[in-house]
Amino acid sequence: MKKGFITFILIIIFLIIYLLQSNLFSWFNLAGVKPNLFIIFIFIIGLFSGESRGITLGIILGISLDFFIGKSIGISGIMLGIIGFLGGYLDKNFSKDSRFTMIIMIIISTCLYEVGSYLFNYIVNNANIELSMFLKILVIENFFNIMITIILYPIIIKLGYKLEKTFKENKILTRYF
Amino acid sequence: MNRKRNDAIGVIITIIILVLLVFLSNLQIEKISYIENAFSKIVMPIQSGLTYIKNKFQGNNEYFANLDNLKQENNELKQRNSELEEQLRQLEMIESENKTLKEYLNLSEQYKQYTTIPAYIINKDTSNYSKIFVINVGSKNGIEKNMIVIAAEGLVGHVISVTDNTAKIQTIIDSSNVVSATIENSGDHVICRGMIENRKLKATYVSTTTTLIQGEKIYSSGMGGIYPKGIYIGTIKEIVDTKNITDRYFIVETAVDFENLETVLVIKN
Repeated sequence: MKKGFITFILIIIFLIIYLLQSNLFSWFNLAGVKPNLFIIFIFIIGLFSGESRGITLGIILGISLDFFIGKSIGISGIMLGIIGFLGGYLDKNFSKDSRFTMIIMIIISTCLYEVGSYLFNYIVNNANIELSMFLKILVIENFFNIMITIILYPIIIKLGYKLEKTFKENKILTRYF
Repeated sequence: MNRKRNDAIGVIITIIILVLLVFLSNLQIEKISYIENAFSKIVMPIQSGLTYIKNKFQGNNEYFANLDNLKQENNELKQRNSELEEQLRQLEMIESENKTLKEYLNLSEQYKQYTTIPAYIINKDTSNYSKIFVINVGSKNGIEKNMIVIAAEGLVGHVISVTDNTAKIQTIIDSSNVVSATIENSGDHVICRGMIENRKLKATYVSTTTTLIQGEKIYSSGMGGIYPKGIYIGTIKEIVDTKNITDRYFIVETAVDFENLETVLVIKN
């Protein structure tokens, strides 16, 4: 019951992010480059609620994103799935209670997502993006994502522990003792 | 034990990714457009609403300006209007004259041969690697795949998928979009590829004998089957000479400003 409710709220947040990303950031951008809130969102789901949930939500939300706006189905599905897995994986090695480690984890996942979607776009859509342009996008997008993480950190932590409480309640004791 | 398990997970994930890759490279987006339809029905009303609100706000900036000024302006405009109407009548006469003269010369106007459907852009791409727009007309209005989209200034792109009420346009500045074009003066063909940057195309395969001049106009050439001949694309902005003359390229500045584009026309073929 509670799990279903939380999942519903996550989907609502996803839709809000989608609308922000396509409306607000089309004019609120740095040198024509938008941030990517989906990476942060899916990464946090993976980080706080575990690998399997991260992968499933990543793939489902990514594929729906492809249906909303995308040239071919599957690229963001696969990439967000990988980000969800990465979130669950890094949970074992990094602490979540410091802003600094959070920033490092966001940088890792943003870079992975960008490089992956660059390669997929190259293979599937025959997109020819110049390397200088790609690096420019990578750097600015990372910067933008970091700023957003720093600003939203208190909300992220609050939401994250709510997720952890709902989805991982049984495992918490065995993990720490 | 743990290591083994991790390895197994790695292998499984690699296999899944490869299978998905094969699957999606064979998948054609138009064959599953009914799913897309369902998705677009969820988001479409919200998007239309937001766009409506945005346009409303942008239009109403000066609504509450000084009323006295408005009255004065109104009088002036009425006067001007009557003047303009007179001019219009004269122009109509000139136009009809012009028309008959043109018919004599066998000149047909470029864009008048196409019938067009006007549309609003209701959504823009969320990722940085592609420049895709969604417009508010779909198969109910007679839009089909591969139709050409233009704006008042020039070429915008083509339709890549259609649902009942919306259509996706791939713009010419998208990284996977290629237009075959001709240079106005020399008539030589070049290939223009999108650079994802606003108002920039990279034109390659320039003939070694062509002389390029900055500011020359570029039109679509009609080769390749999607874009018809003679639609204005833009002007030559920058010519880049490399060590080997066969590699040289130039940057085209598109006539359309894609950041601030709001209305487009879809050409019905």
